[in-house]
Amino acid sequence: MSYKTFNRNQFETFHQPMFFGENVNVSRYDTQKYKIFEQLIEKQLSFFWRPEEVDLSTDRKDFQQLPEHEKHIFLSNLKYQTLLDSVQGRSPNVALLPIVSLPEVETWIETWAFSETIHSRSYTHIIRNIIPDPGQVFDDIIENEHIVQRAVSVTEYYDDLIQYASLYNTHGEGRHEVDGKVYDVNIRDLKKKLYLTIVSVNVLEAIRFYVSFACSFAFAERTKMEGNAKIIKLIARDEALHLTGTQHMMNLFAQGKDDPEMAEVAKECREEAIDIFITAAEQEKEWAEYLFKDGSMIGMNKDILAQYVEYITNQRMQAVGFEPAFATKQNPLPWMNAWLVSDNVQVAPQEAEISSYLVGAIDSEVDTDDLGGFEL
Amino acid sequence: MSEILAQKKDLFEQDAGSAQNKIDSDTDHQADIFDLDGGAKFESTPDFQLEMESATDLESSVAEPIPQIEFFLPETNPEQPEDSDQLELDGMPKPVHWVGVDGLEQPARHQHARTLLESLEAQSIQIPYQCREGYCGSCRTQLIDGEVAYLEEPMAWINEGEILPCCCVPKGDIKIKVQS
Repeated sequence: MSYKTFNRNQFETFHQPMFFGENVNVSRYDTQKYKIFEQLIEKQLSFFWRPEEVDLSTDRKDFQQLPEHEKHIFLSNLKYQTLLDSVQGRSPNVALLPIVSLPEVETWIETWAFSETIHSRSYTHIIRNIIPDPGQVFDDIIENEHIVQRAVSVTEYYDDLIQYASLYNTHGEGRHEVDGKVYDVNIRDLKKKLYLTIVSVNVLEAIRFYVSFACSFAFAERTKMEGNAKIIKLIARDEALHLTGTQHMMNLFAQGKDDPEMAEVAKECREEAIDIFITAAEQEKEWAEYLFKDGSMIGMNKDILAQYVEYITNQRMQAVGFEPAFATKQNPLPWMNAWLVSDNVQVAPQEAEISSYLVGAIDSEVDTDDLGGFEL
Repeated sequence: MSEILAQKKDLFEQDAGSAQNKIDSDTDHQADIFDLDGGAKFESTPDFQLEMESATDLESSVAEPIPQIEFFLPETNPEQPEDSDQLELDGMPKPVHWVGVDGLEQPARHQHARTLLESLEAQSIQIPYQCREGYCGSCRTQLIDGEVAYLEEPMAWINEGEILPCCCVPKGDIKIKVQS
């Protein structure tokens, strides 16, 4: 039992479950078992954008004028976002592609991860534009204990699944000894790991990201760092799509029409899944404490952000059929909705300040000869 | 060149000197507010006028739309359209569908708005939203009674008995429960 790049077995393509069926062979999209994933791919492709489209020259000035504690908030938030997208740019591919069994789900995962790489590129674009030495910021992501803590909690489920799925793909089910360590690999346990991974991915994209978006938009609400907010708006539009993807997977699992065993697993892991949501919310609140350790900013402080964490966690839990875990019912940041409307994301080149579009239009070379015919 | 500059400098100094003399001699006279060629003189503008200017400045800055105004949809009330481009069938006004909202005494009406979300917003019933295109699922709302029709196929997950008001319209009278 090992992974096949092109599976030559004869099998009914559309009778496969989403995961742990036959490996995909022909990438065909003529008919789909779940057409939602095809729709998600189409939508994601229509959203394509490039970070260079957004001009950040005023952000550099804004950033220099920010007080020190706000610089800390802005940079830490950006580091966290960079970490999250670094993880999301590769992990769906590494963890999910070897076990996926439907062509449209496979392509959705690839399209999804690709769009995350654009997000990563845009953080580099932002950091390069506002800081003279981008290396400082990137290095701190793996040195700063607060961010490393975050990294552990967003990747533990991924890593667990990847390890066991690769053993399953190379040795199949059973008890395997690798480097003196014994691993029990069975499909039921793998499905459990898969379910929990999807939950933690949903938490990452639907809660953790939104908390960081709130901080980015809080700056822009004061007309500071608006170029950055414009990029985050584009990222948020993509993330709304991604979280819909994982919500669909979770709900399809829970329904059991896809794979009856997965429904049992979902039921069995319900408490654990709820716990992932609550733990993540608590971690985000701790993070808020770190962000605002040197002082808050106008319109945003530790308490407001913590309330927003509770509000958004409740929303996301309800979407996948869990009871809301927190008492907060009102959105403490009503202006967030407005920043997240996809209608307002500009796409026309003359409006979006695409650098190649503007550079071609202006002749910025001035020579003394140009003033030759000019007399006083 | 330097000669011309020197001449100009002389002229400027004369001008400035005479103006200063005038102000010193009779600041109260109305005639002094204007120069000989009719231009207003800055130095003799009365104080109260300055105050008025600053007052109007304040007003205009208050009236100026906040930068994010464009995001708060809808700007016009979609339930009370003026002339619409849409062809009305002769003698057939658009049907009114009543939208009962759990916890509110008065039902909202849906007649002209493009979507249920717009018509509810126009009647001050707030529903969380994000994409307004049916893919994020933020506006997920419970449908207690009645039927809705989708204008575009919603992509977000909807459970049994839930609707996405951002991309649907009521088919008849309906009753909904807005998520808390």
